[in-house]
Amino acid sequence: MPENDEPPVKLSLPLEFQQDVFRELREEDELLVLARGLGLLRIVTNLLHSYDAAGNNLIVLVGADDRENGWIGEALAEHAAISGSPKCRGLSLVNTDSMSVTTREKIYARGGILSITSRILIVDYLSGLLDPATVTGMVVLHADRVAATSTEAFIVRIFRQKNKTGFLKAFSDSPESFVTGFSPLATMMRNLFLRKPSLYPRFHVTVAKSLEGRRKAEVIELEVPMTDGMREIQNAVLECVEVSIGELKKANTGLEMEDWNLDSALHKNFDTIVRRQLDPVWHRTSFRTRQIVRDLTLLRGILHYLLTYDPANFLKYLDTVLAASRPPPGSTRQNQSPWLFLDAAHTIFDTAKRRVYTGKLNDANVGKSTNGVPDSLHPVLEELPKWALLGEILEEIERDVYFNPQPQDESNGTILIMCGDRGTCAQIREYLQSMHVMPDEAEEDEYGVPGNGKPSGKAMMRRRLRNYLLWRKDFVRASSSLFQENEKYINGTVDPRQQANRGRAPPNKRRRIRGGSAAASAPTRTASGAVYIAGDKDSHVQSLLADLAPTEAEAQQKGEIAADPLEDMDDYYELYEMKDLIVVHPYDGDMDEHVLEEVKPRYVIMYEPDAAFIRRVEVYRSSHGNRQVRVYFMYYGGSVEEQRYLSAVRREKDAFTKLIRERGNMALTFTHDTAGLDPQESFLRTVNTRIAGGGRLAATAEPPRVVVDVREFRSSLPSLCHGRNMIVIPCMLTVGDYVLTPNICIERKSVKDLIQSFQSGRLYHQAESMLQHYKNPMLLIEFDAQKSFTLEPFTDLSNSAAAASMQGSDLQSKLVLLCLAFPRLRIIWSSSPYQTAEIFEELKKQQEEPDPIKAVSIGLETGEDPEQRTFNQLPQDMLRAVPGVTSKNITRLILEMGSIQEIANAEEEELSRFIGAEAGRQIYRFFNRSVFDD
Amino acid sequence: QVLANRATISSILVSPRQKGNPILNNIKDVPWEYSDIEGADYVLGATTCALFLSLKYHRLHPEYIYSRIRQLGQKYSLRIVLVMVDIVNHEESLKELSKTSLINNVTLILAWSAQEAGRYLDKFKSLEKAAPTAIKAQQATSYSDKLVEFVTVPRSINKTDAVGLVSNFGSIRTAVNARPEEIALVAGWGEKKVIRWCQTVREPFRIQR
Repeated sequence: MPENDEPPVKLSLPLEFQQDVFRELREEDELLVLARGLGLLRIVTNLLHSYDAAGNNLIVLVGADDRENGWIGEALAEHAAISGSPKCRGLSLVNTDSMSVTTREKIYARGGILSITSRILIVDYLSGLLDPATVTGMVVLHADRVAATSTEAFIVRIFRQKNKTGFLKAFSDSPESFVTGFSPLATMMRNLFLRKPSLYPRFHVTVAKSLEGRRKAEVIELEVPMTDGMREIQNAVLECVEVSIGELKKANTGLEMEDWNLDSALHKNFDTIVRRQLDPVWHRTSFRTRQIVRDLTLLRGILHYLLTYDPANFLKYLDTVLAASRPPPGSTRQNQSPWLFLDAAHTIFDTAKRRVYTGKLNDANVGKSTNGVPDSLHPVLEELPKWALLGEILEEIERDVYFNPQPQDESNGTILIMCGDRGTCAQIREYLQSMHVMPDEAEEDEYGVPGNGKPSGKAMMRRRLRNYLLWRKDFVRASSSLFQENEKYINGTVDPRQQANRGRAPPNKRRRIRGGSAAASAPTRTASGAVYIAGDKDSHVQSLLADLAPTEAEAQQKGEIAADPLEDMDDYYELYEMKDLIVVHPYDGDMDEHVLEEVKPRYVIMYEPDAAFIRRVEVYRSSHGNRQVRVYFMYYGGSVEEQRYLSAVRREKDAFTKLIRERGNMALTFTHDTAGLDPQESFLRTVNTRIAGGGRLAATAEPPRVVVDVREFRSSLPSLCHGRNMIVIPCMLTVGDYVLTPNICIERKSVKDLIQSFQSGRLYHQAESMLQHYKNPMLLIEFDAQKSFTLEPFTDLSNSAAAASMQGSDLQSKLVLLCLAFPRLRIIWSSSPYQTAEIFEELKKQQEEPDPIKAVSIGLETGEDPEQRTFNQLPQDMLRAVPGVTSKNITRLILEMGSIQEIANAEEEELSRFIGAEAGRQIYRFFNRSVFDD
Repeated sequence: QVLANRATISSILVSPRQKGNPILNNIKDVPWEYSDIEGADYVLGATTCALFLSLKYHRLHPEYIYSRIRQLGQKYSLRIVLVMVDIVNHEESLKELSKTSLINNVTLILAWSAQEAGRYLDKFKSLEKAAPTAIKAQQATSYSDKLVEFVTVPRSINKTDAVGLVSNFGSIRTAVNARPEEIALVAGWGEKKVIRWCQTVREPFRIQR
């Protein structure tokens, strides 16, 4: 459409590169890959608005999440108001199962811009509720997620099949996802049925010109050194990571693992990388391997919390970690996490504790103090170095404001502090409120802290430590009551290896070592060699608490700030001047742009580094000529945080370089517009080269039909069935997942599902009901295309062969039990969804087609409406884990009770009324048992 | 008469034609003996029998397995074809066998090594009379395990978080009722976890329309 045919549309794209992108997008269909932080959503909304203003259309937005929907909805309304275009209808959402078919039909008929959840959209496309031919165009967000077998690719394929003229634009701001695999960009373009990629990295000429002009933001970089304690812990954690990775390599020989090293451990999510590499063989890995992978996630968490939590909370977290990594009961093998056995682990726990409080004893009075209780504990209260720096920056800003009175411009005098998450936000807020509160004047002199207004986190740390000690008392009780069964079990076994653990005291029995408590307050080793922290003596904790009793100055402060109830808000409510404010905010992706626009800060303090946010400030600054911004940017020198930031920047740059190179070499497809290339065929050719000649069925008789449960649209199989020219009919099935013929009903299980549903007993009942209603019930065991096609466990070299094979044989014996229980149940083994589609085709040959109406009614009680029986999966799964809940009474519970919360709050009698006394009692006890009393 | 006898036999009966099959060395838990049985390769119980098929052989002699199935007769209610996957391009053969299993009423069991195949035979015999309780419902475990299992159902919540949560609130009931701000104070619980937990416990089971 030429520009001048349109009604006047007002856009908000002040920068040159934004206008370029917009023009390109209006002209032709393309995939846009934009560097993170350059305002992708803003371009999307402007584009959508330009169509919205034209009116008379039906535009489908795919792949937007809740917050993006919110953003786009608001922005469209705003644009509509500014442009004053009468035809704008804004954004309508179709995003939950709770919309009935008729409501959806009405929405589709009305048109406008619709954001539809992929799973609902594909069902509606297939069932004909929404005819793809009537759609004006589609906009795909997060194009990086569109893999060949994904639902989004399926949607695009159906759209292109039935609608050759509608526009199609795809967006992504994650170039990193495009660089894995062979010619990833070309593959992606094929999946999206697009021809032209458009790349806008930060180093693109126009982008650079737009952002680095005379209105450049002023950035001050501040490197903060870590304290010795922090550095020690970080090194120790990295050592643990290294050892864990070493163990993984040892246990999984024959896997490609060159890049599992410490370097990649510094990387943002090395645990996910390891996980992804192991994924193809996950069902074959040993218990130990999985445990180590879990440990890696845990260790990464520790690294992160080390920098963000205050020392007391960090110690609290470590305590929880330690309690949770006790060995499970019934384990005969030594299955403690390997990192807990290292000296480094000892260092972590020990140092973390010394950062908060320490024993005051020195060697000299160890001997003397045997008769009296020594005053042994003493608060240390290390502060995070960033706090002091934050205080200094604020002072500097104050001075700056005082000496250089505000030049007249549009920014407020507001100071915006950006940090990683809400927890850090609360911490900073608390620090800022209490940094000038001095707990005790006398004490200050003793430690040489100058009392005159120098900010310090002391008051806050004292409060945190108080909380910690109180918490610890409860926690010790709770964890001992939680795990005493385990302890008992372990102590009761006659296994000589476990005998060693017998000497281990439960944590609430204080471990007394004669001669003083210096040793007792430090972590010690159990006989088995794992780290174990003995509790401090009660009296010591008491004295420490007394030491920390709130002083007058502290007592005037508010209590815990994070949980600030809004009840008495009215009494205190007043509007503050924007220029007096300090706003603390967590990074929140694209939403940060809103924050900048609304707050209009003069000073921004970035408490943690974030590459995207720097760009957002650049865009913000360049978009507004008369708003001064000064950015302070702080990070811990030599820390994981710094490394992570640098590697994120580097990875993005590398990804773009690679994409640009690939675009240069990409073969052009000129046949796109001609009718010669059937998208269906091209899809088949891309996903499966085995079918020579396209594998088309002769178009005789009825086309083959498959009835598919709507919940199955999360998997790729329906898409592949459609790719093999079967008509896919989405239905709400009660029995089975796929109905191929009037007699054949199939329950699909991936290996992971199979293990789970054996465990929960669900498969047994599914098999039971399939047998009841169908002549040929089948269980499909589907392996992933990239995963190895076997159930056999790896022979774990470091473990005895018997232990390694245990878990595998477990699955096999359950399979045997299933076969014995249901001799009529057939099992289909498929190495990938591609093969499954072929097998389906084979099974359907010379068979009658299924009747969807009958398939839906099977398994329902008479008069029951299938639409009424849609349940949320997650709370159900939780309920299944509750003791006393069986697959028989779960339906009753779900129908009678509203949610998990209601069941948790229900009285025993109420539960018993529905499901019987015994089960009711079990459920009631599960929820109400208190871990504080043993 | 022979049949009645067999029902009480506690060993796997092996047809002499299986002599030399490496999986015989891997039947370890139950005894086995050669016996003159008609039709099947292995008799695993009163109503259970098995045929052995190596895919390598199947590729060379595709008609073999059909003639064997035909000879099986209708004596057994559970007729297993134990398939040894010993070739790389197994797709075509497996597709064909899936179809066969539907038409001829046999159940396919796949094994990837002689050990695994032997273990399957073991299990079929030793579990012959076992009740299917192991796959019918949850097995009872300790309270702490149950608790961890319950709390970790929503994605990304791990064991450490579960222990932290409950030891902070005292019981699961209080943890379920806790407000998001309160949960956020527990060490290790980030925003995403808090939101996911609170949503899941409050979400109605039934989707409202």
